[in-house]
Amino acid sequence: MSAETSVEEIKLHPMGINWIGLGTIVRREVSRIMRVPIQAFIAPWISALLFIFIFGFVLGGRIKEIGGHRYLEFVLPGILMMNIINAAFLQSTSAIYFQRFLRFIEETLVAPLSYVEMIVGMLVCVVIRSIVTALGILVIGACFGVIAVDNIFEFLFWVVAVSIIFGELGIIIGLWAKNFEQLNILNVFFIVPLSMVGGVFSTIGMLPPYLRFLYYGNPFFYWINGLRHAMIGFHEGPPVVGFALTLGLIVFLSLATLRLYAIGYGLRE
Amino acid sequence: MPAALNISHLRKVYRSGTVAVQDLSMSIAQGDFFGFLGPNGAGKSTTIHCVTGIATVTSGTIEIFGIDAVKNYREARRLIGLSPQEFNVDQFATPRQIVDWMGGYFGMSAAQRKSRTDMLIERFDLTDHAKKSFRELSGGLKRRVILARALIHDPQLLILDEPTAGVDVELRRDLWRYLQELNGDGKTILLTSHYLEEVERLCRTIAIIAGGKIVRNGPKAEFMSGGLEHAYLTATGAEPDHIAGAAA
Repeated sequence: MSAETSVEEIKLHPMGINWIGLGTIVRREVSRIMRVPIQAFIAPWISALLFIFIFGFVLGGRIKEIGGHRYLEFVLPGILMMNIINAAFLQSTSAIYFQRFLRFIEETLVAPLSYVEMIVGMLVCVVIRSIVTALGILVIGACFGVIAVDNIFEFLFWVVAVSIIFGELGIIIGLWAKNFEQLNILNVFFIVPLSMVGGVFSTIGMLPPYLRFLYYGNPFFYWINGLRHAMIGFHEGPPVVGFALTLGLIVFLSLATLRLYAIGYGLRE
Repeated sequence: MPAALNISHLRKVYRSGTVAVQDLSMSIAQGDFFGFLGPNGAGKSTTIHCVTGIATVTSGTIEIFGIDAVKNYREARRLIGLSPQEFNVDQFATPRQIVDWMGGYFGMSAAQRKSRTDMLIERFDLTDHAKKSFRELSGGLKRRVILARALIHDPQLLILDEPTAGVDVELRRDLWRYLQELNGDGKTILLTSHYLEEVERLCRTIAIIAGGKIVRNGPKAEFMSGGLEHAYLTATGAEPDHIAGAAA
């Protein structure tokens, strides 16, 4: 589109995908993330470093190998997945809520952007932030002698797919929240507890049988398990359940997010 | 030739149940300079928000140059530039980023954005402030950024919601000249303002809204017999006819 587009041209040539608009959403969000690098990247890297040091290095020295792998190798995928989930969720909730709070979401509402372009733009930023976070944690792991990504495609699948799920959940919470307090509800009551009991630090076999439902009934277990399989080839649950659950959630949350945008929930007056 | 803006039986009810606009119909001819007046809370901004997509439409139709603003919203929005009443920007971004990003949302290439942003930054005397964050700017400078942002894609219909609120006399006069130039180049302008002098000087057609309804609409000349202020106060019910008559 040119700056001098006439009415006749617009009528004759309806807009296709607004790639430049979509790219601008990404540019703007990346610029926002770069204004808060400590919050966006340094904090999760320090948190991961402490987890790796304490659970993997200090305590891990006293634990025997699990499935032929050092304990540090075993816990690293779980620590990585916890931080990817956090990064994805925080990126989209803060982006949407910040835009609503300062009302500059109106900039995109008055522009020729489709709902799909707005959502995809947000999710691209979510994936970028998750991947940068993951790369930093892999480097930290490498500093402790853990360099293991068995299957790079499976690794990328889990990083991207789980980022999309929590990016979309973050968008929904960001649209729903009326104040900063509400932004944290899902994180405090759902994400942190379920990720802690999702198999980050122990195998199913380490749990008494009556507590094993905490793993099998917990979606976080399948994501940690999937990433662990991609990184060190070790897994405990049926992979097909993890894939089906992940793809099903992506479809469901994509439709839900699209619907909320279409009706203007939390966006339009 | 379709109207630049044609609103037919627009009704807007907020989720709270407040009826902000009821059965509002009006039309703005291409190339017109249109004054949209009304007291606070009359429904001016709500109408503008419905036209630009910031608010959903409860019922009625809105057409921009013959294009349905709800069904074909992307095409319709390419024709509109909005300078809102409030500073709805990323307060930590710089004026250059704010203007450039808006061009991006409208699908303009990097080269087009660069040349147009440079021109607007210079036109609105923002060169020395282009790399400061928006929140560091004075009220007048912020208003200029908002105007530059509205103009980045060279819109055919420019909607200005109180564009001179809080700006000094020099900028106001300069802006008037610029708006007259744009209008002279064929751009259609919809202006809301509480400064009746501004509307009197710039606009050719005027509509007055009160209680969510258009209460008077016509060429400026029709409003001028007893003065625009008198016409405005009478139409909005702020000055009943018998008092106005006695005063006259």
